[in-house]
Amino acid sequence: MIVPSSRHNNLEPSSPMWDVEIRVRANPEHLSTVRVVAGDLAMRADFDLDAVEDLKLAVDQVCSTLVGLAVAESDLTCRFEVAESEIRVSATAVSAGEARPEDDKFGWRVLTSLTDSAQVVQLGEADPGKNGVRVEFVKTPSMAVNG
Amino acid sequence: MSHPKSTSPAPDTARHEYSHLAPLFLRLAELAEDDPARGEVRDELVTGHLPLAQHIAQRFSNRGEQSEDLVQVATIGLIKAIDRFDLTREVDFLSFAVPTIMGEVRRHFRDTSWSVRVPRRLKNLHLSINSAVGELSQQLGRSPRPSELAAHLDVSVEEVYEGLAAANAHRSTSLDDLLVNDDSTSLGDTLGEPDVALEEIEQREALHPLIQQLPKRERTIIVLRFFANMTQTQIAEQVGVSQMHVSRLLSRTLARLRRDLADGE
Repeated sequence: MIVPSSRHNNLEPSSPMWDVEIRVRANPEHLSTVRVVAGDLAMRADFDLDAVEDLKLAVDQVCSTLVGLAVAESDLTCRFEVAESEIRVSATAVSAGEARPEDDKFGWRVLTSLTDSAQVVQLGEADPGKNGVRVEFVKTPSMAVNG
Repeated sequence: MSHPKSTSPAPDTARHEYSHLAPLFLRLAELAEDDPARGEVRDELVTGHLPLAQHIAQRFSNRGEQSEDLVQVATIGLIKAIDRFDLTREVDFLSFAVPTIMGEVRRHFRDTSWSVRVPRRLKNLHLSINSAVGELSQQLGRSPRPSELAAHLDVSVEEVYEGLAAANAHRSTSLDDLLVNDDSTSLGDTLGEPDVALEEIEQREALHPLIQQLPKRERTIIVLRFFANMTQTQIAEQVGVSQMHVSRLLSRTLARLRRDLADGE
């Protein structure tokens, strides 16, 4: 369970209340840990339940994709910047090939349906043949819908 | 917890379907305990009766990932039934096997529907939250926040966090499935417009058959969420299950699709 160390007032609209980073081996078995952290943060930020669940699904989607691209024995880093009305997530891994996260069209559709905005950032060659790849997305709480 | 009707899970047609296997029991009984042929005959009996286990598993769940577990559990029940079946007692195998398999499945639900032991207080809290979510969603036009649930239930927000975490420990669809699993909930009827959206991926050969293979309810939920852009709360209302259940089904189905897509590559 995540207990935020300090919850200070927002001086600037975008300054996060909490800034949490989690690093795991880029293995499928760690995805549930990352998902639980994401869900706990969103819940404690008082996001509505749809938004909490969507965030967890989005984190699952992004991390599965990155784990699929990641070179063996590499790490997956997930950073959560939690503000009053949005959570910014950036997930980073080291990929070996040319494949990009948005190549998986269905996966990308899932991610963009679940989030407010999402983008891929290529970080360039870390080592020869190894590229840093990052997916960033933003999630805000749900608005009331009529009907 | 309501169980599906326990009457005649193996109709007479099924009885007939398995009648050709009956001589194998005789063979098995005649073989010596240490005869290597026993294994073969036993395997043949298990394989031959597998549809029975699958049939029973299906009665307890909608298809999908969870039901793979259930089929395994039912198969264990089937193997137990084969090993314990006593020819001298003059009952036919199906009359003996069906209750044995069902017992195994029921035990599975009893033992594992909460994947960790959750105190009764939390289970109750989980139930209160579940119904409060429905009520508040109606009022608010969106899903509630933990603070809103806390105010509505007159409990602390920490308790709501605990209750929601308990909901996550509640792995099963099992309870929900037993409550809503009814063939009359024909969800295909809710499809229509989203089908048009689904056509967009018609061309994607790898994905399309995988989506078509999904159980109807899972397919409906996936299409409504990702192709008709409905929220989980709206889907819950349309499909007639709780938002938490929609969430679990989505998560499970996406995992299944990812796995199947990866396998297909």
